Amino acid sequence: MKKLTYLAALLPAALLATGAWAADETIAVFTKNQTNPYFQTVRVGADVAAKSMGATAVHYIPTKPDSIPEQLSQIEDVIVKKPNAIVFVPVDYKAMTPGVEMINEAGIPVVNVTDRGAGGEYVAFVGADDYSLGLETGRFLLNAIGGKGNVVILEGVKGSLTSIDRVRGFNDAIKEFKDVKLVASQPANYQRLQGLQVLENLMQSHPQIDGVLAANDAMAIGAIEALDGANRKAQVAGINGTKEAVDAIKTGKLLASGDYNGFLQGCIGTMIAIRDLRGESVVKEVVLKPTVINASNYQPYDVALDARTCPTWEEAAAMETKK
Amino acid sequence: MSITDNPTTGASGIHLSKDMQQLVYRLLAAGLLCLALSIASDAFLTSNNILNVLRQASLLFFLASGLTLVILTGGLDLSVGANIGLSACMAATAIKATGSPVLGTLAGLATGLLIGLCNGLMVAKLRIPSFIATYGMLWVLHGITYYYMAGESIHGFPPEFRQIGSGYFLGIPIPIYLMVVFLLAGTFFAQRTVWGQQIYAIGANPVAARLTGIPVDRRLILVYAFSGAMAGVASIVFLARLNSAEGDIGETMTLPAIAAVLIGGASLFGGIGSVFGTFIGALILTLVLNGMNLLAVNASWQPLVTGAIVIFAVWLDMYGRKKA
Amino acid sequence: MSDQALSPSAPARVKMPSVPGVVMALALLFILFAALSPGFLTTGNLSNILVQSVILLLLALPMTLIIMTEGLDLSMGAVLTLASLVLALTILSTGSLLLAFAAAVGVGLAFGLLNGWLVSMLSIPPFVATLGTMGAAQGLALLVSDGQSVVGIPRYVRQIYSGDVIGIPNPILIGIGFYALFHVLLYHTRFGTYICALGGNRDALTLAGVKWKRLLISVYMLGGAMAGVAALLMTARMNAGHPTAAIGMEFDAIAAVALGGTSFEKGNGWVLGTLLGVLTVGVLRNGLNLMAVPSSVQVTCIGVLVIFALLLDGMRSKS
Repeated sequence: MKKLTYLAALLPAALLATGAWAADETIAVFTKNQTNPYFQTVRVGADVAAKSMGATAVHYIPTKPDSIPEQLSQIEDVIVKKPNAIVFVPVDYKAMTPGVEMINEAGIPVVNVTDRGAGGEYVAFVGADDYSLGLETGRFLLNAIGGKGNVVILEGVKGSLTSIDRVRGFNDAIKEFKDVKLVASQPANYQRLQGLQVLENLMQSHPQIDGVLAANDAMAIGAIEALDGANRKAQVAGINGTKEAVDAIKTGKLLASGDYNGFLQGCIGTMIAIRDLRGESVVKEVVLKPTVINASNYQPYDVALDARTCPTWEEAAAMETKK
Repeated sequence: MSITDNPTTGASGIHLSKDMQQLVYRLLAAGLLCLALSIASDAFLTSNNILNVLRQASLLFFLASGLTLVILTGGLDLSVGANIGLSACMAATAIKATGSPVLGTLAGLATGLLIGLCNGLMVAKLRIPSFIATYGMLWVLHGITYYYMAGESIHGFPPEFRQIGSGYFLGIPIPIYLMVVFLLAGTFFAQRTVWGQQIYAIGANPVAARLTGIPVDRRLILVYAFSGAMAGVASIVFLARLNSAEGDIGETMTLPAIAAVLIGGASLFGGIGSVFGTFIGALILTLVLNGMNLLAVNASWQPLVTGAIVIFAVWLDMYGRKKA
Repeated sequence: MSDQALSPSAPARVKMPSVPGVVMALALLFILFAALSPGFLTTGNLSNILVQSVILLLLALPMTLIIMTEGLDLSMGAVLTLASLVLALTILSTGSLLLAFAAAVGVGLAFGLLNGWLVSMLSIPPFVATLGTMGAAQGLALLVSDGQSVVGIPRYVRQIYSGDVIGIPNPILIGIGFYALFHVLLYHTRFGTYICALGGNRDALTLAGVKWKRLLISVYMLGGAMAGVAALLMTARMNAGHPTAAIGMEFDAIAAVALGGTSFEKGNGWVLGTLLGVLTVGVLRNGLNLMAVPSSVQVTCIGVLVIFALLLDGMRSKS
């Protein structure tokens, strides 16, 4: 029984220590998981923006990565607390529609970030275009290998919007080069180890591989390790522009990484949410231009996340995409 | 699923002969798979691909070999995948902080061992069912790892450390040597030592084991600690191969590791199984993935094919056991 | 394994613990959150918790029975997912909810039959058999959906989840109904008695002339059917089918069952405990969300809770 009293005393203290909801304006930020570095960049962007505008960002992340039922439950729970606004990355752009409708019914303004939701009312959408990101990154790599040779694609999680669109972009880029042959397109589920092992296996059946297009950086870097291990050379490109990818570009191991720019998405999404609350002007749609980070332009990305600053509102508003 | 038909638990000869009979069927499963794959793909039966498969199987084997002992006692360790994640992050942190691969390796092994010890204490001393104790531990470890890593990764390790995972000796990858060492040591420990025989005895009949004076609690703590330490070993090889640590690296490995042990002929009720069987199990699972990549099987079919082959392999084993 | 001979015709006697760990854990969490989080103790939020818990309960109830037979069903989450997709696709192509629901339950029953057949007829250990069928269901889910969400389901389907009868949300009514069903099934029917014996005393069943293999198959089929029922609620909740929607939910269900005090040996099961176990997890998640506790801390709390409740049980059984 002694242990019980201990816990009873400890738990509230621990919970209070993490207490939130202190500032006047609270922005609830929903992201997909706490394992993909990309969403960390979104969260840091949201934090930086909220802080600079005198509001608080509170994060809700499913304890099980990308869990639809859990994000739905979190929405129901958050509605009880009535935050001033919500910045929302749906774990699935279609299946989360009932959740967004619940937020709408509760009268809480919501800004959509990263994956464009298929239903519900949003104040604005801030995201990048996975398809054009895949297309641009694909073109960059195919040009680098001289427009000819054998290429493999490492796909992300089957069924995720990001993977579908990025892989479609890769495929369309490959179609533009008639001397490039797509020799395999296999899933490695956005996982580093699977990226490594799948490429190891593919190297067995394909003696010549000139380029690897990976739907995210973790798989790309896994693929590089596989190539190194077999003493083979091929150009590798990933997507997301994570810190690790930038380091690998710096050392010349990775050719390029399509920048999904989560930090900027987090920044602008949160800025729009707060400005909307304060009755200030907002923009409805920001689709960031695809940038392919490579050896010639990596410098601005080689900065610690929390040392980065959000753009000014004027700069952000200038990125507006007219429909 | 009664195990009463296996009353003598102390004598080593019985396990070996039983194993021998079943081994034939298990090897048959692996052999059939190899045969099918070598017919289907020219690239399969090349020395390069064989080394490739063995190296890929080694990670799974490290994890599964520790688990084998736990399962032999009738327990389960669901925390091994999460253990890899935290151990790898600790090892990575230590290497970055000290620059010493040795200290990093020790940090990873110690983390794994410590987690295993906690599991062992919960199971043996607090009498929490192993399924729950280690499932709770899985969540606790994920929480700590996520908190510690905050969505980042630690990457870039010294080349001498990376040798453990990606180096070669006489043209054969280092992890394969490690796998052989642990395979021999594990088999010797389980089959030829008193402690190993006691572990079989505990699994076959915990009450009888206690009555015959086997220090059950201490042996249980030992096997969970060993399982944790093997997760630590896996995390080091993992880290050295991937050159990077993330919180979720081991997440997808727990179920395959358990599957490898069970395909290898172990029973979740304890007392039956062997480290060598587990090796075959790990090999079969790796072969399936390798084969699907070589044959470029559509992504949607992959879980289905894996599931079917797992069931078939175990069925073949059960069939063999009935005949034996 | 078993220490008392169980006569198959006598009503099941299941030992009821004095103050089980799950009751203490639930009470403790409830008081804690009521004191610390202002929004917690409102009817809206409490009904919120109940509604959120129902899908898990629908899996945990049959899982209790399966675990009592010393079995396990790892395929439940994947089967739920597949059934949900089949339901969504059927309703899109035929427009009939009834037909779609029948198809979902049919998928569940088919997988239950397969699981039961593998376990009882081929003697494949339940863990492996259902691990294999989990892969099969996952693969089929990807195949039928081509990896994408299935949307365009008529809005009235959502009413199944979000509607209410005289102020009580539908999911709560469904949850109560199935809880009652399982309670009666386990404690007041011969079927329940046999299930208790299946785990602890299979030999006695054989002696009494019960065809226990068929019985075992029916237990797994019940699990599959419940996954089909849960699929209806899940589909209604998302108004869509999704190929990874409930992956991994079987482990939540197993944890809830264990939290509720059902042991993995000897056929000791406690259905009320399972209900309380499900609610405890629901209360914990909801309370932590309301207090905006970081996700990584939440993950740790869930682990500690699971261990802690079982620890209390262990301490009680010692004293």
